[in-house]
Amino acid sequence: ARKFTDKHEWISVENDIGTVGISHFAQEALGDVVYCSLPEIGTKLSKHDEFGALESVKAASELYSPLSGEVTEINAALADNPGLVNKSCYQDGWLIKMTVENPAE
Amino acid sequence: MVLQSSLKNCLQLSCIFRTPKAGFRSTTTGGLIIQSISNDVYQNLAVEDWIHDHMNLENRPVLFLWRNSPAVVIGRHQNPWQLMRQKNIKLARRRSGGGTVYHDLGNINLTFFTTRKKYERMENLKLVVKALKGLRPQLDVHVTDRYDILLDRQYKISGTAAKLGGTAAYHHCTLLCNADKFVLSSVLTSPYRGLKSNATPSVPASVKNLFEEDPSLTCEMLLDAIAEEYAAQHQIDHHISLINPADETVLPGINNKTKELQTWEWVYGKTPKFSISTCFNLVYQDSVLDVKVDMDVKHGRIEVCNIDLPEQWLPPALCSELVKSLTGSKFCPNETTALTTTLPRVCPQDSELHSRWNLLCENMTMLM
Repeated sequence: ARKFTDKHEWISVENDIGTVGISHFAQEALGDVVYCSLPEIGTKLSKHDEFGALESVKAASELYSPLSGEVTEINAALADNPGLVNKSCYQDGWLIKMTVENPAE
Repeated sequence: MVLQSSLKNCLQLSCIFRTPKAGFRSTTTGGLIIQSISNDVYQNLAVEDWIHDHMNLENRPVLFLWRNSPAVVIGRHQNPWQLMRQKNIKLARRRSGGGTVYHDLGNINLTFFTTRKKYERMENLKLVVKALKGLRPQLDVHVTDRYDILLDRQYKISGTAAKLGGTAAYHHCTLLCNADKFVLSSVLTSPYRGLKSNATPSVPASVKNLFEEDPSLTCEMLLDAIAEEYAAQHQIDHHISLINPADETVLPGINNKTKELQTWEWVYGKTPKFSISTCFNLVYQDSVLDVKVDMDVKHGRIEVCNIDLPEQWLPPALCSELVKSLTGSKFCPNETTALTTTLPRVCPQDSELHSRWNLLCENMTMLM
């Protein structure tokens, strides 16, 4: 199930790993993404922590962690193709994967 | 008396900043105009951060006016090595996106703070153009769809960048009144050959000062005209409150923000991963040697380093010592110099070897 935060990030949990991305509304508001700044694998995040930023033609926009956990994977495709965030925000444009420390969150 | 009025301004401000969610004061309903008394780029950028993090901008947008003594300001995801090779000018990295700009006292900076929902760059720039035309109706100024302001349809007089936070947003722009164009162009045109990166590029532009178009214009006049237009559009008093970016009582935590903006980790360490692939010549006694260097730099530190030297010019053990000590260290001339002056102690007392070593290290340092 995909859950949304009030900052328009989404998280979808499967087998205790959450995949995080931004919503269609957010990618549209941002405009064409030209650069994705993502954390290192192993970074520990608390809910609401800033974990990275997206730079678009409009602005630099911070990304906030929807849950607490540890980063297990980042979407390497975004380095050469940041536009995936706009084109496929729910599929190929995912940002990071993380463990879910506290399912209650 | 000037001193008293600025004290009064600061006190009013501290009340506003401390109780952002309290009821509006009559002078601040619908908006606030503040101007920095400092010309320090780090202090002024810190004020932007502070307002973004701490002020409640709901129905109370803020216009922040500031000027800096000479400095180069790069965008959040830019590469300072790629853009600027001069070491004798202040370098700052801002938190908004976009490209590189040169600031001096002849350039004015305007920051429009709003809630994220009310973020609207075009509106802000049109406000600036309206103010300029109100001051000098004959000025041919207009906003492009790249959010630049052009003079005479060809010269850039303003560039824009922005940051979207959780609930707050800001759009800031420059405005060239009477900046030093000579320094500007010499500082901003230094491409680094052999550097590969996907950092935000900078798009060079033809620039002109408003002063060149109309020598009767001053920065003060422009600031005032823009403040007046902002006040009119937001239906607030045309009153500019002065702010001291070093004042912890008005802006608690500001000095930490200022310090952070000056750290190497922020200015250089936030550079997106890049690689260098270059070669240089070593002129030693009667021969010229080709040296090829490849490096990967991440978070401003050398992650991978490869130096290709002609065989046996330096003992391979020494060469690999150099590579080993560079790996993991900052891509920074000071750090490299410190490393390379200590290493020779492990090698035999051989002045020939020492001079070769020094020559190589000097050239390595120049890459940074």
